[in-house]
Amino acid sequence: MAEIELREVTRRFSGTTAVNRASFTIHDGEFFILVGPSGCGKSTLLNMIVGLEQVTSGEIRVNGELVNDRDPRERNMAMVFQSYAIYPHMTVRENMAFPLKLAKLSREEIDRRVEEAAVILELTPLLDRKPHALSGGQRQRVAMGRAIVREPSAFLLDEPLSNLDAKLRGQMRTEIARLQRRLGTTTLYVTHDQTEAMTLGDRIAVLRGGDIQQIGTPRELYERPANLFVAGFIGSPAMNFLPARQAGSELLLPLGSITLPGENAATIPADRELVAGFRPEHLQVAAGQEECAGGLRFEAQVELLEWLGAELFVHFEVNLAGFAGIALPQELGIESGDGARMMAVARIDPACGVEEGETLALCIRPERIQLFDGRTGGNLRAEGA
Amino acid sequence: MAGTGSAGRMERLFWGVGSAIVVLYALIPVAWLLSLSLKPGADLGDRRFVPQAVSLEHYVAVFDDPQFPAALWNSAGIAGISTVAAVLLGMFAAYAIVRLQFPGRNLMLAAALSVAMFPPVSIIGPLFNLWRTLGLYDTWAGLILPYMTFTLPLAIWTLAAFFREIPWDLERAARVDGATPLQAFVHVIVPLAAPGVFTAAILVFMFAWNDFLFAISLTSTSDARTVPAAIAFFTGSSLFELPTGAIAAASVVVTVPVIIVVLLFQRRIVAGLTAGAVKG
Repeated sequence: MAEIELREVTRRFSGTTAVNRASFTIHDGEFFILVGPSGCGKSTLLNMIVGLEQVTSGEIRVNGELVNDRDPRERNMAMVFQSYAIYPHMTVRENMAFPLKLAKLSREEIDRRVEEAAVILELTPLLDRKPHALSGGQRQRVAMGRAIVREPSAFLLDEPLSNLDAKLRGQMRTEIARLQRRLGTTTLYVTHDQTEAMTLGDRIAVLRGGDIQQIGTPRELYERPANLFVAGFIGSPAMNFLPARQAGSELLLPLGSITLPGENAATIPADRELVAGFRPEHLQVAAGQEECAGGLRFEAQVELLEWLGAELFVHFEVNLAGFAGIALPQELGIESGDGARMMAVARIDPACGVEEGETLALCIRPERIQLFDGRTGGNLRAEGA
Repeated sequence: MAGTGSAGRMERLFWGVGSAIVVLYALIPVAWLLSLSLKPGADLGDRRFVPQAVSLEHYVAVFDDPQFPAALWNSAGIAGISTVAAVLLGMFAAYAIVRLQFPGRNLMLAAALSVAMFPPVSIIGPLFNLWRTLGLYDTWAGLILPYMTFTLPLAIWTLAAFFREIPWDLERAARVDGATPLQAFVHVIVPLAAPGVFTAAILVFMFAWNDFLFAISLTSTSDARTVPAAIAFFTGSSLFELPTGAIAAASVVVTVPVIIVVLLFQRRIVAGLTAGAVKG
């Protein structure tokens, strides 16, 4: 059991800053997620916590004790690697027993713990196999087993599911969540996959280019993203972004204008370049104006449909006439359009029976619109909220 | 194309015949040596490939001479120690070059290689004088040192190639699992580099075991004289008789350990030992 605290932790490699002044506390028993695009410094941060990489400056404390200069083996943390890193020359049993042998436990204790972990992870029939005779999912479980036999003070998982196929990934995700609840061990989980982050985490820290963008529960990140990057990174399909302008209490969008709730309008400085964001599921089909009272109703020409059974994604183009294009963070991989038009997505009920090429009337409500500063990317509405 | 119809059969025939020719070419001198060593003294000049009568008299003669068993012991000891020392040192050096970040890593590899490029014959003279001054002349150490010098580069290069193939995550995993750097090296890296270790060991052993140049120049008595050198000092029963049979018998005797070592180690060189370590 452990509480892990980071204070202004920084890691610099010759000239580049991999992690910049990261500060957060992982509470005892918490499932904490580090998420971000590749190269954002999340693995570096994990390696510093487990002791595989040096901290350039700042403090890492476990239960209040400074561990910056402690060797990995003195930190009693277990790690699961993206590559699994199970020892190919040892059987499953030997793999799981390895950390216990190093800890000089008695034979009986080692056997007991390995058998116990094997039962939890359903590895019992595989104990005497070598890793090359295991499937990807089984190897993954061996790596997990090697971590849990130690009864460590914390689990650190570095993209543990990214080498599995989609179906197995979903299955292992649930298994990991269940395991963590059952053991109640402090867990730090690194991933680039926002779905894993949202489903597994008690709290999530979003990283970008070595900087922590926001820390919060999945719900907080989803409903009140601190900036454009978090807004675009969390949620699938990604949030729609459009350029916007403020005119009194009106917000001008390429789709039309909308009246914002009073208290918000006041906090937004005039003449500021704005980016409006709204999630695909917050667009509703509105046959007539009366179904969209107080909101903005607009017509969209359906360009592409993606039917997923329970939901329907409608892709449509927005003409930016009179608005300049917006620059979105590159890592998001969202197309910013060609400056004259942008793509947007609505997630609607498949029952509405729309066809490609048809025109669809959609409605967006003012309270669903997030406003970001066009230059800094900061969320202008979250501050008031 | 392979394996289908006549094209596949032709291909197999080509490789089969090719390999047979190479093996025959390599083995005929050995067979000739074996045949000579088994012929009775009177038959040595009979120009037959297969001995008319088989006799072990040359083997008996070779082992009756007290110099030969001593030389065999020297050879085994010197080659064995050189192998263990060169492989052990080479392991640490190769590991450092592959894993640690320090300036001049590639320069070190190149420098090591240049040592191996040095023609041994050019250092024999100075070494002879040096060893006599230092008291290393005609000692085991006097041979082990040059053998190590000339085989270490080979060992470092071979081992470095194998270490590079081992996923670094395995070592990091071992460290997190509670191993000291040395434990991680011994329990995880070395077993996985075993094929490399055995390859290097075979190469070093053969170099030391077969060397004639250093052995003949830096030894003078049976204190350190190895078998290749000792064979050169064999004498016939009279001034006018060449000790052909004895030389053949001794040569067969020294070839056997090399074959045994290679066969023994070859079993350990299992390709793809790291399969299953990472990814799915």
